[in-house]
Amino acid sequence: MLLSVLQEKEAGGFVVIQDTASYSGRQLLKYYINCAIKSEEIVHVLGFEVPEQEIRKGLDRNYVHLFHFHNAYSDPLGWTKQSSFRVKHFTTPHIIQLVNKTQNAKATILVIDSLSWVLRHHNPAVICQELQKLKRAEGSIRMTFGLLHKDLHQQGIVGSICHLASTVISVAPLDIVDSAVAKTTQRKKSGKVMQEDNFFSIKDDLILSIQNKPSQSGHVKADLDTNEGDPASNLTFNLRLSEAEREAKEKVALPFVFSQEKKSALLRPSQSSGQIMYEPDASDDFDEEDPDDDLDV
Amino acid sequence: MAAHMNSMEKLYNLSSNNATSFQKKTRSKLVSIPGTRPSVQNGQLIVSTGVTSLDYVIGGGLAVGTLLLIEEDQSDSYSQMLLRYFLAEGVVCGHELFLASAQDHPENIMQMLPSPILDDNVSTDQGDRPPTPLHLHDPDAMKIAWRYQNLPKFQTTFGSSLFGHCYDLSKPMEQQVRQAAKCHTFYLPEEKTAAKESSHLTGPYAGLLQCIQALIQKEGFDGSSSQCTVRNVLRVCLHSLGSALWGDDLCCSESPTHYHALTTFLYALRALLRSSLSVAMVTVPSHLIQKRVIMERITKLSDTTLTLESFQGSEKETNPLYKDYHGLLHIRQVPHLNCLLCAIPDTKDLAFKLKRKQFTIEKLHLPPDLSESVSRVSKVELPGCGPTSKHLDF
Repeated sequence: MLLSVLQEKEAGGFVVIQDTASYSGRQLLKYYINCAIKSEEIVHVLGFEVPEQEIRKGLDRNYVHLFHFHNAYSDPLGWTKQSSFRVKHFTTPHIIQLVNKTQNAKATILVIDSLSWVLRHHNPAVICQELQKLKRAEGSIRMTFGLLHKDLHQQGIVGSICHLASTVISVAPLDIVDSAVAKTTQRKKSGKVMQEDNFFSIKDDLILSIQNKPSQSGHVKADLDTNEGDPASNLTFNLRLSEAEREAKEKVALPFVFSQEKKSALLRPSQSSGQIMYEPDASDDFDEEDPDDDLDV
Repeated sequence: MAAHMNSMEKLYNLSSNNATSFQKKTRSKLVSIPGTRPSVQNGQLIVSTGVTSLDYVIGGGLAVGTLLLIEEDQSDSYSQMLLRYFLAEGVVCGHELFLASAQDHPENIMQMLPSPILDDNVSTDQGDRPPTPLHLHDPDAMKIAWRYQNLPKFQTTFGSSLFGHCYDLSKPMEQQVRQAAKCHTFYLPEEKTAAKESSHLTGPYAGLLQCIQALIQKEGFDGSSSQCTVRNVLRVCLHSLGSALWGDDLCCSESPTHYHALTTFLYALRALLRSSLSVAMVTVPSHLIQKRVIMERITKLSDTTLTLESFQGSEKETNPLYKDYHGLLHIRQVPHLNCLLCAIPDTKDLAFKLKRKQFTIEKLHLPPDLSESVSRVSKVELPGCGPTSKHLDF
């Protein structure tokens, strides 16, 4: 699922990449940017945290003309009055205007690096509303990516932003160098939620390789419910039946087995109070004489 | 006060296990509104929520004039489904609808309503089933316990009642059926009147409250306009109140700026509901709200409160005990309406499952634990003041 995030057909997708200080999600973000420009989609990046050269590093040279960087790194708060994009410009009409400046045949992909920066300078509820408006601007923006550092914010803010997102990718480091685990949660418009865990590693040339679960040196989770073997296997007595034995067992006449008519008579709800049905057994001695006649009292 | 049916006779039905076909004899003082009926428990006028098993669990249905609060599950899928059932039931019964949302456009929500199954294939009660003839060679026929053959099978689902309709989730409701019902919508991003938010007590919800109040007065649900002889019920649906998209930072921070906005809004809303023929269903993303005390207050301000807990993403998904179900339903609160006793469900372990066509709520049955590690208590230990010696000598 990690690889097919960009292929989402539903318009207005919002992907949040959650990372922590121990493993940065920027490489994964750059991987998605690279994939997008290779499939000839225009990408606009609002860069607050890292300078342009760092984001451009590793992107495919042939398609770099589709990549547009809006510099909010050098002067985000507008102190020198020369900045191109300030943090207070993070409003939907402004962003759409920025995106539409480049001649676009089809909708573009917007990348926000990072959302944490914007959240520090604006009211979180307002940011949520702006992101929702960006999701609905389907004509200009096909998909929005946002990088969120979840250890920088209160749990409520992280929860609110991820509640809006259609896909949330949470990356965490592993013991092994260069490897990380990504938990992807995707929610479709119909309400269906899908989850997947992937182990991956990204090299500098932005090639993502998904691995099977690597052998971990440290933590081996003890299997809580061990698979019980068949308890009837290693015994000194025999608990199984052979075919002939099973047939013989089924032929045994059970006690209280009644004939078919009697069963259906009993099953029918009867109005009468109680009926005594007597079927003489094989060993029953039915003698009409009264044995008390012999008594001489 | 909620609308109250005056009855001549009342049969006191304590056991709520069976769906009763009991009909109260009523004086026809009040014009009967389609889609409603008097409750057997406390005489209130009730409407169906759309899901018949949910109706059973909350005491027969939702009383007119009350507020049903649903605490959403993590991904908001099942709470939206319950909203759609509620709206679909309103359309089928001919009630008026009011839908407010800040996330999805109300038109999109209305387009996803499930279509009703109108030809009633209501199954007869299990007890009247004619006895099946015995087939000796039928593999299902029991050899030893054949006397139990005709007894009804143990049901985990609650009995189908004659109140409420069945819906098919795989088909959306047809347009002409949907447009037959009057639906008023409120979509926050499109509302132009931005009330003075900081000064008003209800903060971001001021516009919504004004809209509901105006609608109730204009259409005469509170009995104010004497021209309206045809009485109808208004169903109010509010999606995801308290989330950041409404402009409220209740979910974002631990000390929100509009601390009392949502609670004031719910207080005012319930006052409006009590004085009119309306019923409301509100969903709140309670898993995002940071301060638990606010959630407690919100629960107290509503009448019936349910929590949906979905298994997706939690460790319960792989738990074999829950493998047939998609989540748990917790009933947090049931109202006392004009009576001392409330409708207590006979079991609190309820689970829901979403089949392809239907959403049902069932009793959660745990199978008996037959593993060897289970401790079995054989003897009841006598308390300290009981006889210490087993042999009593006289």
